[in-house]
Amino acid sequence: MKTEAVRGHLDGLLLAALEDGPLHGYAIITAVQERSGGVLELRTGTVYPALNRLERLGLLASDWQSVGERRRRCYALTGAGRRSLADERTGWRQFTAAIGAVLDPSAPAGSAPATGGRAPLGPVRHRPAT
Amino acid sequence: MSGPRQHADPLIAYAAELRAALPGPARAASRMVEEIHHGLLDATDAYVREGMPRTDAARRAVRDFGSVAELAPECRRELALAQTRHTARAAALCAPLLLVCWTLARPALGAGAAPLAVLAAVSTLLAAAALAATGGAPARRFHVPEALPRLIAWTGTGASAGMAAATLALACTAAVTAQWPLLLLAGALSAASHAVLGTSVRVSRRCLVPADVRPGHGNGPGACAE
Repeated sequence: MKTEAVRGHLDGLLLAALEDGPLHGYAIITAVQERSGGVLELRTGTVYPALNRLERLGLLASDWQSVGERRRRCYALTGAGRRSLADERTGWRQFTAAIGAVLDPSAPAGSAPATGGRAPLGPVRHRPAT
Repeated sequence: MSGPRQHADPLIAYAAELRAALPGPARAASRMVEEIHHGLLDATDAYVREGMPRTDAARRAVRDFGSVAELAPECRRELALAQTRHTARAAALCAPLLLVCWTLARPALGAGAAPLAVLAAVSTLLAAAALAATGGAPARRFHVPEALPRLIAWTGTGASAGMAAATLALACTAAVTAQWPLLLLAGALSAASHAVLGTSVRVSRRCLVPADVRPGHGNGPGACAE
């Protein structure tokens, strides 16, 4: 998926990557790429100012940790961040259901991809009509 | 105008070029660049673990990150907003000092002390508006206007200049009145307010320098091929 397409969903992707616990910047990038099965293309540098922005908005908290000679800034979701992630998820499900209903009207209603409690990071896939 | 000297290590060169493209709050910019540099090191290590030679791995990591020209505008915007919040906090610190000034100067100056109350009100409004617009729940609901850092930088500059003028006026008046100790104290507090806000707005103004006149922001190591 192209970088431009991912950009509009970057905040949700970053929040989702941090759902299971605090991570530093590169680990967040890796988590997003792994959870998308390598489908999502990120200009990885742009993740860092985005993390700063999310912290300014109160959705993330950060602290610096030293690992050997390398200092890493670790980010964690705040309460507001968790609520924002839940909102992102709800919005995404409604969006994919609506677009799916238009693009693939033969698919059964409510066949938007199951998320199993996690944000869907990959492209939308609808069950083929039977 | 020449850019920063190119370093043989692509990661250090990238970090240096990015740092040169980020005017404004030096400490915040250095921390942002340090974080990105260490992210590049992590990415390089990951490619090395996959079997890539270190030099190639570093170039690949830089390419993945995007060029400095792509990254710098977003970093600059965040730094400008961080400095806007710093200026707002400085203004919030000045407001009570100026109210004390006004209280001290009013017996001697009467209505002549009104500008101090006006400056206190401007500081309070500046702080409240900037902090609400750039952080926390209000900023999550509303888009921050692009012009906000400029507005705060110049409003703060005006308030800071007003504090300097008030300091001068209080010092001059103290020289010709019997209540000079109170006026001198008020002048000292006004000078302190000017110092606090003036320092912050100077950095805020540096954040407004257009990106295309800064050196070293073009296609640097970020654009290098494998």
